[in-house]
Amino acid sequence: MATVAQAPFPLTFGTYTDALKLVGQAGAKTVAEFSVTWEAIKVYCALVEDANPSYWDENYARRQWGGIVAPPGLLLSWCMALEWHPTKERKHYIMALRVPLPGDTLINVATSTEFDRHLYLGDRVSVQDRLVQISEEKDTRLGIGHFLTTEAEFLNQDGARVAVQTNQLFRYRTHEA
Amino acid sequence: MAELKQNQKYWGDVSEGEVLPRVTMHVPFAKVILNAAATNDYFPGHHDPEYARAQGQRNIYLNTMAIEGFIDRVATDWAGPGTFIRKRQMQMRASIYAGDTMYGEGVVTKRYQDAAGRNLVDITISIATDEGPRVPAALTLELPRH
Repeated sequence: MATVAQAPFPLTFGTYTDALKLVGQAGAKTVAEFSVTWEAIKVYCALVEDANPSYWDENYARRQWGGIVAPPGLLLSWCMALEWHPTKERKHYIMALRVPLPGDTLINVATSTEFDRHLYLGDRVSVQDRLVQISEEKDTRLGIGHFLTTEAEFLNQDGARVAVQTNQLFRYRTHEA
Repeated sequence: MAELKQNQKYWGDVSEGEVLPRVTMHVPFAKVILNAAATNDYFPGHHDPEYARAQGQRNIYLNTMAIEGFIDRVATDWAGPGTFIRKRQMQMRASIYAGDTMYGEGVVTKRYQDAAGRNLVDITISIATDEGPRVPAALTLELPRH
């Protein structure tokens, strides 16, 4: 099988049988390194070219929502691991990355997100996810592997639920090069 | 700064079958790099063409968060900034690559109130490139009422 040269994250390798033992387990609760900032919101809106005044216009946002809010699509970004940290090991909160499987690469496939409330400037998100399901081996256009379904709960710093997201990713090896 | 559009759809004014205006966005290589930086996502498939090809992809590609943001924009460009996105489901059936142009189209499928009395509208959105459909999505929006 072709091997993807550079490991994207420190993946854990093992068999499907090893992986199935983790179904139902929860990952560690992670508090985001990144607090919600207007700068990050503007950079993201520049990416998707979103002119929504909820993200750009303080007067409008104050009237409508009580302040500038974060675009819902930024939800995952607050909890991403820093590339380097002086004291912490680089570790991604997504439990699916730590499931022992043969696949040496992955791609995200689907998300389903329910939102309870907005995130505001200065908010600090925490997240905990749980491994819900691992499919049997599937042969797809990209390669051979398993679909992993996780469910993550995102809270703000007051412990109020911001969103719940079900995520599906495909952990695979490419077909013979 | 020029005034940003604040046009708002009200729940009572929406009808099932209503078509959302098409949104187009070009995705040059630099935008995919901006995507990595804007979302703190340094998975190599989003910035390293060699890695992306080894994964079976044609080139570096947009990540989940960029596509979610574009889907949400298609919804709120139409519905207005006072819209709360209650739910979004999306499936990335094919990638959107550096050099692509992406298109978002949508239609209203349902207008209703839930048990909590929220004024809701369900829409489906399709994200496509010149190669065809890439990402189907379904959203539930909460709209203000007159």
